[in-house]
Amino acid sequence: MAGALSSLKIVEVGEMVSAPYCSKMLADMGAEVVKIERPGAGDRARTRGPFPGDVPNPEKSGLFLYLNTNKRGVTLDITQPDGFEILEKLAADADILVHNVTPPEMDRVGLTYERMRRTNPKLIMTSILPFGLTGPYRNYRAEDLTIWCAGGVCVLNGAPQFPALPPLKTAGQQAGYQGGAHAATATVAAAFAQLRDGAGQHVEISIQESIASILEMTFEYWPYMKMLSTRWGQKPLAPVAAMQCKDGYIFLCCIEEHQWRNFVEIMGNPEWAEEEIFKDRLVRAVNWDALKVLLEPWVSQQTVQDLYRKAQAKRVPFAPVSTMGDLLNSEHLKARGFFVEIAQPVAGTHKYPGAPLKYARTPWAIRRPAPTLGQHNAEVFGKQLGLSQARLDELKRKGVI
Amino acid sequence: MAKPPLSGIRVCDFTWVWAGPYCTLQLAHLGAEVIRIETKTRPCVTRMLPPWPDAVFDSIDKSGYFNQYNQGKKSLSLNFKHPEAKEAAWRLIKQSDVVINNFAAGVLDNMGFGYEAVKKVNPNVVMITLSGYGDTGPESHYVSYGPAQVPLSGLSALTGYKGFPPMHAGFSYADPNAGVHGAFAIISALFHRAKTGEGQYIDMSQWECAIDLLAEGILEYTMNGREPERVGNRDPQMAPHGNFKCLDLPEKILDQTVDQWVSIICADDAEWARLARAIGKPELANDSRFATLAARKRNEDALEAIVSEWTAKRKLADVVTAIQAAGVAAGACADAKYLSEDPQLNQRGYFVYREHPKVGVRQHCGIPWRMSGTPCEVKTAAPVLGQHTNEVMTGLLGYSAAEVEAMRAKGALD
Repeated sequence: MAGALSSLKIVEVGEMVSAPYCSKMLADMGAEVVKIERPGAGDRARTRGPFPGDVPNPEKSGLFLYLNTNKRGVTLDITQPDGFEILEKLAADADILVHNVTPPEMDRVGLTYERMRRTNPKLIMTSILPFGLTGPYRNYRAEDLTIWCAGGVCVLNGAPQFPALPPLKTAGQQAGYQGGAHAATATVAAAFAQLRDGAGQHVEISIQESIASILEMTFEYWPYMKMLSTRWGQKPLAPVAAMQCKDGYIFLCCIEEHQWRNFVEIMGNPEWAEEEIFKDRLVRAVNWDALKVLLEPWVSQQTVQDLYRKAQAKRVPFAPVSTMGDLLNSEHLKARGFFVEIAQPVAGTHKYPGAPLKYARTPWAIRRPAPTLGQHNAEVFGKQLGLSQARLDELKRKGVI
Repeated sequence: MAKPPLSGIRVCDFTWVWAGPYCTLQLAHLGAEVIRIETKTRPCVTRMLPPWPDAVFDSIDKSGYFNQYNQGKKSLSLNFKHPEAKEAAWRLIKQSDVVINNFAAGVLDNMGFGYEAVKKVNPNVVMITLSGYGDTGPESHYVSYGPAQVPLSGLSALTGYKGFPPMHAGFSYADPNAGVHGAFAIISALFHRAKTGEGQYIDMSQWECAIDLLAEGILEYTMNGREPERVGNRDPQMAPHGNFKCLDLPEKILDQTVDQWVSIICADDAEWARLARAIGKPELANDSRFATLAARKRNEDALEAIVSEWTAKRKLADVVTAIQAAGVAAGACADAKYLSEDPQLNQRGYFVYREHPKVGVRQHCGIPWRMSGTPCEVKTAAPVLGQHTNEVMTGLLGYSAAEVEAMRAKGALD
């Protein structure tokens, strides 16, 4: 069975995470994606790793291989007029152009929706930008951490007991993933409208705004109460915290009173649990320092899996602080077939994170591994666009492909 | 101008707390008619959580948390203890394009609204369950709360200061992540339905959706058999790469000093040279301790101390402006006050101000995309509980005013 989006043709001009993740989400649902990379170096994600045996190799970067499944890859220098012309040809035949070319670079190469739609009025162009295409920060330099911070989420994380330590980023390239996921949602909605209206459009995503959209209740504390949310750890309820067991960490999580009572029972009803200073979830949070030292000796004698099972059996939502090994070995994830093995000619065969969701009819599927640099130049430029061998040679000489 | 992309799509929304409501918020942003089924006997958890105006909890209609993630939706209040209320839900399901819930596996089936039953009355419906663990597998019935999903996903093991225990993300990150992926899945399924006429069921696990954000950690393990180290804010390929303290906010907030931090990153040696100039130490560009990435990584403590010394004497906004003027990535570690006043977000019209019957006009976060052809807009503030019960019952669901009154008298419409 084909994927839900198998009729869509997409061109991606993407680097690192945001645009590549957006078009990966579409590609894994069946869309045909041609990914354009700079001749020579290619996508910067090719330098990021992890690499097998820690030996850097642009064809073996784990991040790149993950983000570019189900895409064909070509090299093209869109900063040269000849290259831009080929981009226009590719877009003329596509439903969607996804890019994260920054606004100053868009200006430099002349990438605008007005220009791209001239040859294809049905084209959807999705621009994923750090701060958007307008406003005073339009041209700001940004890396992933810049936007994670500017979107308002980084200040929420860190050790409250060590205020001199900086606000702590969440591991990985999370601003890129959120920009990509929000962009994919808006893009597929535009494709749905394209089906209805027969018209394309420009979809512009600000990653900063995508991050500001996921701040839980923390932003609203300001307009509602003129309060600032502080670092996680100063939670209003307790216990909601990670704690060390014999063989790893477990996350204690008693949000509701019955969950706490069940946890106390699991601990064998220690006398101290009846103290006035632990009588409800709010008071327990106020007296967390006292509670913590009473819990630690008991928790440290447990194994993670055993306490996890015992808690869940009583409907207490504890969870292991999973290591990568725990995830790969999880019986639950195995039973669901979550991790997928992907063989790539240069990088070899490895297990990757798999489907974020299971469709009853139109399965998520890996149909091809990430492309090697320029792997599909002949197929796309020659067969698809009909450029002659002589022209291809000339473009190669000029460094366009 | 054309209608919003999901105009004419109706969503029967059984979700609650955050992941599900964040999903249906995206659908509402895109123009769908989202009808939330609620009940006073068990209101959405977020209706009872802060923030509240004046810090007073005196109404389930005043929570800033609920009001943020339910903008543009309708609220239909039904008490399923009464069979008439279930009948009303069935009438809504029959006329909906999408049915969505974020209960654990099996819960909706127990209520009688499982996919098999729904499919019988609405064969082409798109239905999704966004549960913590997914519909299948040995842990599918486990209880899942937002804060615990972050460590469960593996994010905590990767996140933390060097040498410290695993940390959190600071918020229930897996929830909105599942919500946005769920919205993408639903619209993809609607796209397929528009092409083929076929609806379908989607099983979504918040846990799996979060692991999809950790490829670098997972691949470190599958390629090299190693658990990645926690490295705080640092990056193997960029230095400096971190957050640096600026002057405290000049005023106190609730008698507390508020610290201010800035992120500064140099992606290459040329950017480092420009940063060195911007902080008045151009000689450091060629200093052997810092001239190359390898040198800066070796001397990163000293490097960070130099940058910190400069930022510590300056105001956050001034630092961002000066460093960006040098062509180097810098941004505020924005807190809510900073965001609220941020010139970028304000000039782009990101924030939403809509009249709400119980809290008046408040500043809320808006839509992170702009569409040139099918513009999206937050049309209304979040609903008070049951705000649209009469409208939906007598309009869409075809009840007479007398029938609605009789049901209300019985308590079926609480």
